[in-house]
Amino acid sequence: MEDDDRELLERSLRRAMESHSGAALDIALDELGWPEALSVEPRTAVSVLFELQGAAHADSSAMGAVLSSALGLQAGRAADVVLPPLGQWHAPGQKVGGDLVICGLGTTSLVDRVTATVVARVGDNDLALEVATADLTIRTVQGIDPSLGLVEVSGDSVPHGAPRQLPPIAWPEAIALARIAAGHELVGAARSMLELARQHALDRVQFGRPISSFQAIRHRLADTLVAIEAADAALDSAWEVRSTQAAAMAKAQAGRSARTAARHCQQVLAGIGFTTEHDLHLFVRRILVLDELFGAARALTRNLGAELLTTRKLPPLPPL
Amino acid sequence: MEVDEYRMSLDLWLEEHQTTLRPDPDATRTLDGQVDHLAKVKRLCYEAGWMRWGWPPRVGGLGGSTLLRAYLGEALTSRDLVAPGIYSMTEVLAPTIIDYAPPPLAADMVPRLLRGEETWCQGFSEPGTGSNLAALSCRARRSDDTWVVTGQKVWTSLAQYADRCVLLTRTGTTESAHKGITALFVDMDSPGIVVRTIETMHGAPEFCEVFFDEVVVPADRTLGEEGHGWSVAMDLLPFERSTALWHRAAHLHRRLQSLLEAVPEDRLDPAAVGEVAQLVYTLRARSRATQYRLAAGDRLGPETSIDKVLMATAEQAVFDLVVDGLGPALALGDDPDSERWRREFLYSRAATIYGGTAEVQRNIIARRLLDLGSDR
Repeated sequence: MEDDDRELLERSLRRAMESHSGAALDIALDELGWPEALSVEPRTAVSVLFELQGAAHADSSAMGAVLSSALGLQAGRAADVVLPPLGQWHAPGQKVGGDLVICGLGTTSLVDRVTATVVARVGDNDLALEVATADLTIRTVQGIDPSLGLVEVSGDSVPHGAPRQLPPIAWPEAIALARIAAGHELVGAARSMLELARQHALDRVQFGRPISSFQAIRHRLADTLVAIEAADAALDSAWEVRSTQAAAMAKAQAGRSARTAARHCQQVLAGIGFTTEHDLHLFVRRILVLDELFGAARALTRNLGAELLTTRKLPPLPPL
Repeated sequence: MEVDEYRMSLDLWLEEHQTTLRPDPDATRTLDGQVDHLAKVKRLCYEAGWMRWGWPPRVGGLGGSTLLRAYLGEALTSRDLVAPGIYSMTEVLAPTIIDYAPPPLAADMVPRLLRGEETWCQGFSEPGTGSNLAALSCRARRSDDTWVVTGQKVWTSLAQYADRCVLLTRTGTTESAHKGITALFVDMDSPGIVVRTIETMHGAPEFCEVFFDEVVVPADRTLGEEGHGWSVAMDLLPFERSTALWHRAAHLHRRLQSLLEAVPEDRLDPAAVGEVAQLVYTLRARSRATQYRLAAGDRLGPETSIDKVLMATAEQAVFDLVVDGLGPALALGDDPDSERWRREFLYSRAATIYGGTAEVQRNIIARRLLDLGSDR
């Protein structure tokens, strides 16, 4: 995609998110041609949309579309893909005694669909199965971030259509793409927290000077920027390498960075940042859920370490 | 020459010449040995052309992207053929001379550095001027066609070996701060210079005190304009945080890989290993992007402070993990491997101090990147 096209997409998405969230944003994304951009230019479509979405504290069903597109399923308005349960990355379906058992999450739009796609692990195969949403138990999640619009999806012995066998690498690669998307959303949210804290530091006067002049404050904000840029670099690298390992590292880095940002920015915003009169808490809530989505930083990092201690081989970086 | 072609041919050449290039472990236990070996590797690389790529023809280079230089340093450090710190001084000092010395001087001097014939040092810090570089007081007085320099520098790496020094001097009033600084290119064999080495915690006389007593420096050795030394320094520092740092990151990757190979079963916490691997990976990802910006002709500035913070954090994390994984060997071992781990661990403590402390980097980030205004 040309720089001009990217800028245009960014501008229109930004405008859409100023006034829309949830189902309205899904419609706006369709109208803007974001689903087409996702299939033609996934890197631009995913990085731009999710970073903006994180920064704007908006929500959409784009994560379902990302999984759907990565799995080579029909993208768009017709069907939604069930996401893994929070903190997990295995396929949300399994066969227990011949019955399809489902435990996972869905984005906002799943509620309005007639059918959904569930990936189920059966033996050594991943199967894509069509199910009727009427056969699922769907619970609207309130939790720590009610505005995120997630639903919990479950069902025992759910009827399904003819199975379509997925290539063995399809699910791990779809999770890798979803992790990168969540990573960009975390970076966007962290950048917004930093901007809120930065502005407060400049405005708030104590001891006769703006608190931005105190080194303790400046260094917290500097560390926040370092953490954000580190995550950004890891995400860029994950796009170039396109390995599941690089995507997991980038997601872990983004989760850790967002939590660092939340800690520092909350401290800089002090009393006002602890109230619901200020927007900070919205981001603090959101990043906790996003960090857990497809595996939290802590879990991914420990897994990577365990793998490295077994293989005794560090992950490669793309050559210069 | 494209990067891919350069990489392939250089890798082959390094493979072919590895017996000649590989340092003798005994000889390179001392800094003298490391400096000698570095000179040899640079000479061989220059003669074979590798060391000339990525440098402009007017200083004896063969042109091409700066990425070629970045790859050469990466290839040499990641194969353990040179020590990264002393190798990378070329990357810091040569660009300064190319940008600021009178062209004939640059054409004469830079090739000497590239082919390992000379060692140069960087005279910035002073006893009263560590983080607060703009307060430096080593004075240069103009006398006809010469400068006369009197004062003292400290923490000057490799000064005991150096043939030349990029020296920051005070030419304005003491109150002139960064406006009254002039950079000079000084021959270290000039009468009036005394060098005293300082033994560091990691057991090498890596840096020095340098005393200047009425040292005469020709005026045509001025780098940039009189009173503009601050911008010379500010342009040099990003090189310290870009190509040099890329080389250091390659070295860290190599040492973390060596740790993974050497560590006994069940000594390391997987979570700690995972985190350090991510830190090193992320440092390299960031530094790689910086290399591309440099190669595209971007002017590097305060954003390289982020690279430096990431580097210092990663370096200390790697060697903290070394302590966790190889503690007994590090504490008691007197074999060459243990000695090396110990030396590198101790050296890593300086990563948040040299080249601008961790605090100075954060001050730069706060002021220049976050636009937080003055800290007063």
